[in-house]
Amino acid sequence: MSNLEDKVALPPEAINLYKKISSLKEISMKELEKEMQLDRGKMEYFLSFLISNALVERTTTVNQKYVLTDAGKQAAEKGLIERLIVTALLNKQSLNFSELAKILECDKQEMNAGIGYLKKLGLLQIIQGKLSLLDDKTKINEAMQEVLKELLKGNEVDITQHQKELIQRNLVFVDEIRDSILKTTIPYSKSKSMITESVDISRLTPAMIRDGSWKTTKLRSYNLDGAPPKYYPGRKQPYAQFLDEVKQKLAAFGFQEMRGPIVELEYWNFDALFQAQDHPAREWSDVYRVANPKLGELPKENHVKLVQKAHEDGYDTGSKGWRYKWSPEKSARLVLRAQGTSVSARTLANLAVPSKYFSISRCFRPDTVDVTHLSEFNQAEGIVADTSITFRDLLGILETFALDIAETDKFFFKPDYYPFTEPSVELSVRDPKLGNIEFGGAGIFRPEVVRPFNIDVPVIAWGLGIDRLFMVKYGITDIRELFSHKMEWLRSAKMS
Amino acid sequence: MVSIKTSYTKMKELLGIDVTIEELDDLLAFAKSEIDDFVEEEDMLVIDIKTSNRPDLWCPEGMIREIKGILEQEAGIPQYEVKKSDYKVVVDSALASTRPYIACAIAKNLDLTDYSIKQLMQQSEKIDNSYGRKRKRSSIGMYNLSMIESPIEYKVIDKSHKFVPLEHEEEMDLPTILEEHEKGLEFGDIVKGYGHYPILLSANGTTLSLPPVINSNDVGRITEDTKEFLIEVTGTNYETVNVVLNILCQTMVEYGSDIYSVEIVYPSEIRKENDITPLLEKEEITVNLDKINKYLGVKLTSDEGIEKLRKRRFECKTIGKTNLEVKIPPYRKDILHWVDIAEEIAIALDYNKIGVTKWKVITKGGLLPETESENKVRNILVGSGGIEIFSNILTDPEILTTNVNMTKVDLVNLQNPVSLTYSVLRDKLFPLLISVLSKNTHETYPQSIFEVGEVVKILGKRVLTQTNASYGFAGAEASFEDVHKRLHMMLDLLDTEYKIESISHPAFTEGRSGKIIIAEKECGIIGEIHPSVLELNQIWVPVVVFEIQLPYIPTLNCKKKFTD
Repeated sequence: MSNLEDKVALPPEAINLYKKISSLKEISMKELEKEMQLDRGKMEYFLSFLISNALVERTTTVNQKYVLTDAGKQAAEKGLIERLIVTALLNKQSLNFSELAKILECDKQEMNAGIGYLKKLGLLQIIQGKLSLLDDKTKINEAMQEVLKELLKGNEVDITQHQKELIQRNLVFVDEIRDSILKTTIPYSKSKSMITESVDISRLTPAMIRDGSWKTTKLRSYNLDGAPPKYYPGRKQPYAQFLDEVKQKLAAFGFQEMRGPIVELEYWNFDALFQAQDHPAREWSDVYRVANPKLGELPKENHVKLVQKAHEDGYDTGSKGWRYKWSPEKSARLVLRAQGTSVSARTLANLAVPSKYFSISRCFRPDTVDVTHLSEFNQAEGIVADTSITFRDLLGILETFALDIAETDKFFFKPDYYPFTEPSVELSVRDPKLGNIEFGGAGIFRPEVVRPFNIDVPVIAWGLGIDRLFMVKYGITDIRELFSHKMEWLRSAKMS
Repeated sequence: MVSIKTSYTKMKELLGIDVTIEELDDLLAFAKSEIDDFVEEEDMLVIDIKTSNRPDLWCPEGMIREIKGILEQEAGIPQYEVKKSDYKVVVDSALASTRPYIACAIAKNLDLTDYSIKQLMQQSEKIDNSYGRKRKRSSIGMYNLSMIESPIEYKVIDKSHKFVPLEHEEEMDLPTILEEHEKGLEFGDIVKGYGHYPILLSANGTTLSLPPVINSNDVGRITEDTKEFLIEVTGTNYETVNVVLNILCQTMVEYGSDIYSVEIVYPSEIRKENDITPLLEKEEITVNLDKINKYLGVKLTSDEGIEKLRKRRFECKTIGKTNLEVKIPPYRKDILHWVDIAEEIAIALDYNKIGVTKWKVITKGGLLPETESENKVRNILVGSGGIEIFSNILTDPEILTTNVNMTKVDLVNLQNPVSLTYSVLRDKLFPLLISVLSKNTHETYPQSIFEVGEVVKILGKRVLTQTNASYGFAGAEASFEDVHKRLHMMLDLLDTEYKIESISHPAFTEGRSGKIIIAEKECGIIGEIHPSVLELNQIWVPVVVFEIQLPYIPTLNCKKKFTD
């Protein structure tokens, strides 16, 4: 369209906007916002007149920006680990692991990753514990290092060549920036004669209603095609909302909620659950230990002594126990709750029979944060206690969870292992796209767990992987998104 | 969980039947294992084994042993003959307080390939690492028998003793091995803790190894040409050392080897009697089938019970009407109680065929009053336009301190953080809101966000968990009113009276911020964030926030939870 055929009436603000865009020929929405000092909502409103009259057209742009991760920043500042290793070996010819670690001053895991990287490329050999270069390749990943440096400075840089590797090595992530570009289809100078300023008769005022002037006034038609101003109502975080729904379902099934503290005694996290004090899950690599204070106080109740006996000789259960000297000091150590079962353990101390309990609790494990691991996650856990309950009932409860919480009838059971239950079972669901997914675990608490709390009835313990379930349901592949702080997602994620 | 690599062809060969990957995965479930990965081009399977108490399953032969039972190819405890050898190990009494136990066996007529040696090494490594508690509780050594003369000495030796450790060419003395050898660096701390050096020596003076650190480079090197092996396990736990040897002997038998015993001569400080290892006496447990039937919800007869247990590689017979005497294979030490036998029966019945039952007892369910209370607050804040955020409880100390102009804060921190970014527990929420705002400066304003979540505080020597609520408003027009009206509305809806008194706080602008007081107790903060904090966080619009500790609102049911 080169000319306007009909006259167009526009509000004065829209005309101003039109003039501005026309004077610049092309401008991005963001820049325009700054120029006009109008908020986004109003601007959208006035723009809609220009767009619907085909005076201005709008195209959306998506700009990919590469941003350094923490590891990426470090590599940009200190240098890529493989380069540091090469430099160290060039200077010293050959080094053993500990010498290299001293020079690099980085953690072992990172160093090993670098060594592995160089070995794979055939640049490095290890003979009798000594590392040396096979080739004088100081130039390794020089270009990549430059790219990182440029990114650190905030400069634009072409990373296509390294993109895949940088993302794979978790040095860089892709941030998408959306904007739109506005362009005039007809310059203001050409359409000027056809445009009139509309009087503000868009608004029906209280006075008009009262004095009856509405009867003789023609109210301007609303523009029904235009996009409304953006509006972001208050809302719950999508994952929190999902957890609320799971809680409501469990409550509706007759489960009573329970809770426990985040900083937990090893006693409740492990000992009360019959996990021997030298169990690998209690090591530094598997549980976060609190530095201040290091120790808490064990409960005053008698069950502490009986838990000790259960570990040492099985107490009155007929079990052999773990046969070692149990240490109250180890049990009093403070850790970050590593499994939701600790909350169940606390409930055993005051258990009602019959009863069903659940808890959704934040748990913590010393994992390096990546696409599939978080340092903290949520576990749904619970117990069911009754004189009449059996292992087959336990399978029935898991079936209910599969049908009503995972909402699938494609599920099956597998034998599993937990130190505190026997028999133990895994609940897996078959996802058409992702294959078998472990959705839950359960078992009957061992007598060594329940007897110290003077419980004589079978107690079923169960847990559900709700983080994973949410991800499957919402098509999320990066677990870090559960805690996403992207306003765009928080405001606009679909509720489905 | 333990993860091993093996070959698909090898698994099928051991099993004796052709199975697809899916069928194999289904069968592995009976050995508490599953296929994690299959690389077809390399014929490589990665199998995860979920039991930390069944080291006998951590090799292909072990898993197949279980599956053969399930498939009824074999039943009961695998039997093999142990011949007597003339070999002896003499144990030094000085080891009594450090690493006193040893168990040995000899395997002959082995015909190992490079691949099977790797598999054997993998099995040893997995057992040492997990079941052996990184070699502290037990560690395995294997040697070329032809280079060893009896009696072997297991003794304490002077640090000046030298030998050539595996993968090296020169002799090293013992402290040098601990400081410089790769394995010395990894496991040397165990020996350092002993205060002396344990050594295994052949009668001809050659060194076998420095347990639990490293073998010698000659006697302790296993190759395809090695036809006769000495297998040795040392450790701090008698039962562990012996069961580990039993597991290895069982595997060796399945490799086609003959097993010979070794006499262990103990000094009286360690054990009253000598051993002839492997110790293959079968442990027994008597179980009541009625109890097991009730526990599982099934009705098995004694004959059926026996058949199921034989399927699981146990031997058993009836005693009286309902008792079963169960013999446990010598490669297992995980049976502590009759419930462990109950599980074996359940597995033999197949979890997917046993049939589910519905427990129909009615119980009253519900949310805790504190959850209901938190939900009230969340609903009010959503109603006031807040976008809820969810942030990490374990967070970055910078976010909680320097980023909000604060220095001295008593935070719960960790002995073993993986990274600084996740190294302290949050004691308040508003700094996390600031952090969220700082990451979203490219998004449309105003931004209205909140979080209702748990925080952790130190109170004297005690630690407590409680729930706080924090709300933040950012935008060109943001003013104190934006948070004041919301706080006021919230507390008014919750029927709670409050006061605000001026406060001086480094994160806030003086004269434009105050503390929230309920029933004479300070329980929150409200105000305008100091421009220097905004500058630091690169937020270029004013920000106002409030944070309130929910346990102080008397009409809510939120409590402080102490860790004890």
